[in-house]
Amino acid sequence: MASEKMKLEVWKGDWGLPSVDPHCLAVLAYCKYSGVPVEVIKTGNPWRSPTGNFPVLRHKGEAYCKVTDIFSYLRKEHWGSDFELSTKQSADVVAFSALLEEKLLPALLHLWWMDDKTFLDVTRPWYARAIPFPLSLFLPGRTQKKAELRVNLTKGGESISEMETEAKVYKEAKECLNLLSHKLGEKQYMFGRLPSSLDALVFGYLAPLLKAPLPNNQLHNHLIQCDNLCRVVNDVLVTFFPADLREMEEKKKKEEQKSKNISTDNSEFPNRRRNMILAGFFALSAMAAYAWSSGLIQIQISDIDPAPSPNSRTNNRRGPAGVEAGVGQS
Amino acid sequence: MSGVLDFSEASGSSILSVSQKRSEDVILYQQYQVEQITLPDYAQCLAVEAFLRMSGLNFRVEQRTNAADMSPTGKVPFIQVGSQLIAEFEPIVKFASSKGYCLSKDLPDQSVAEMWAYVSMLDNILSNAEHYVAWMVPDVVAEVTKPRYGCAYPWPLNWILPWMKQREVHHLMTIKEWASKSLEEVIGEVRICLRALSEKLDKKTFFLGPKPTELDAVVFGHIYILLTSKLPGSPFNSLVSEFDNLKEFCKRIESTYFF
Repeated sequence: MASEKMKLEVWKGDWGLPSVDPHCLAVLAYCKYSGVPVEVIKTGNPWRSPTGNFPVLRHKGEAYCKVTDIFSYLRKEHWGSDFELSTKQSADVVAFSALLEEKLLPALLHLWWMDDKTFLDVTRPWYARAIPFPLSLFLPGRTQKKAELRVNLTKGGESISEMETEAKVYKEAKECLNLLSHKLGEKQYMFGRLPSSLDALVFGYLAPLLKAPLPNNQLHNHLIQCDNLCRVVNDVLVTFFPADLREMEEKKKKEEQKSKNISTDNSEFPNRRRNMILAGFFALSAMAAYAWSSGLIQIQISDIDPAPSPNSRTNNRRGPAGVEAGVGQS
Repeated sequence: MSGVLDFSEASGSSILSVSQKRSEDVILYQQYQVEQITLPDYAQCLAVEAFLRMSGLNFRVEQRTNAADMSPTGKVPFIQVGSQLIAEFEPIVKFASSKGYCLSKDLPDQSVAEMWAYVSMLDNILSNAEHYVAWMVPDVVAEVTKPRYGCAYPWPLNWILPWMKQREVHHLMTIKEWASKSLEEVIGEVRICLRALSEKLDKKTFFLGPKPTELDAVVFGHIYILLTSKLPGSPFNSLVSEFDNLKEFCKRIESTYFF
């Protein structure tokens, strides 16, 4: 194998997932399935990414950005879990990958980027926190625009209203989940005991849907009813990404402890009292400064104290102005 | 099967179906096949026509120059049943199955899942490839697609409308990340798709089971177009010839259902 290690850059994880992005998750899962020796860099800074998005696989000076490109590159380097499949099963992989892209992806794009509630409550805050300052101002907006274009151009049209598009997209996604569930049946993975690239893709698409705290979740509810799909996602998380689960549990424990220590009211704003005092102090001092500068309050220490000092001299210089203003007002 | 299909459509239909089944007048609208229709639309129309023929529905084809503008979604083909208009392949299939014309009702769930997966593979890869070749390869656009698309309109329109359509397809291809592909890459994608189909068909008469299904209709629509289209440089014709069983399949369907 190559002497140089492959580097995979992905979006940071959350909610017990190694990454929040379906495509990053798919590539991560593929690498785990086949044991690719890859150095994973979890980041929120897409400055160096050629497309402004993740995943990016770098190896020998080349960068691969699309999931299909990454898969085919890894396959070319003889890393992959698809070699065990028969030609028929490989054909199924192509077909079901297309199904996911055609039916499930538009719904996910809609859910994350076009559904107002999810976008405001989950997506935008998350990316605003993850992406460093100047990029965070326009990257989420750009991604949102792309998602809107994609959904509207492929599923909508001039003669279809937004509501109809939305209904159509979610209906198709639910049907797609049903089809996947039928295909999976009672098997451990789609094609028996070994995970394939299709399983990686399915895991990538479904895991965020299952784990993220989504406010509007008709798709989430539908997914929960497909027991076998949920089982596969959870199995993969436990088997291949135990570190992230542990991280989440630790985070949860910490938060629980915190909320025990502080009264329930304050748990959301831990420094509430300090902030209130600071704000009050700031307001008071600002008012005092204004009052002093406009002459409502006059400080006449310098007039009483004749001792010459650098401080008093500055006071002296201002003093008359203050007095004048005071006089002018009176 | 029922788990896959939409219940809301199925539930309301039972009242209508009995009286309509016999004297049902299904009209399939499309553009003029010989002079006007473009490559991607032709494939879709053929797929629907094949489906209607396979399911044994009585229907007649109406050719209209403005079929795309008459369609509720702006896409051809669409069918008219009584006062209802239904456009595009999947909704038409679902509508027909709600009326009792379902080709895949005897199949196990897993086969149905596979069927729809392959249908969306054809939609995803072959439709995109057809759009790409028809609207993004300069020779084809100038010699075939634009003159055909504009043939029904008088002078300034026969220039403006194809141009607008081309821009629309460009946007669609860009957002689907196909615009940046070269023709070779597109042909590579088509080859992957055809190979998958060829594997799936193997030596069987139909793709799934002993009877034709929706998948057979869609495959026929696309493969027939790829085989018979006469385009400058003819990028696809030789490609299909690499897969003998698909070619045979196409001939078989044509001789059985189209005469």
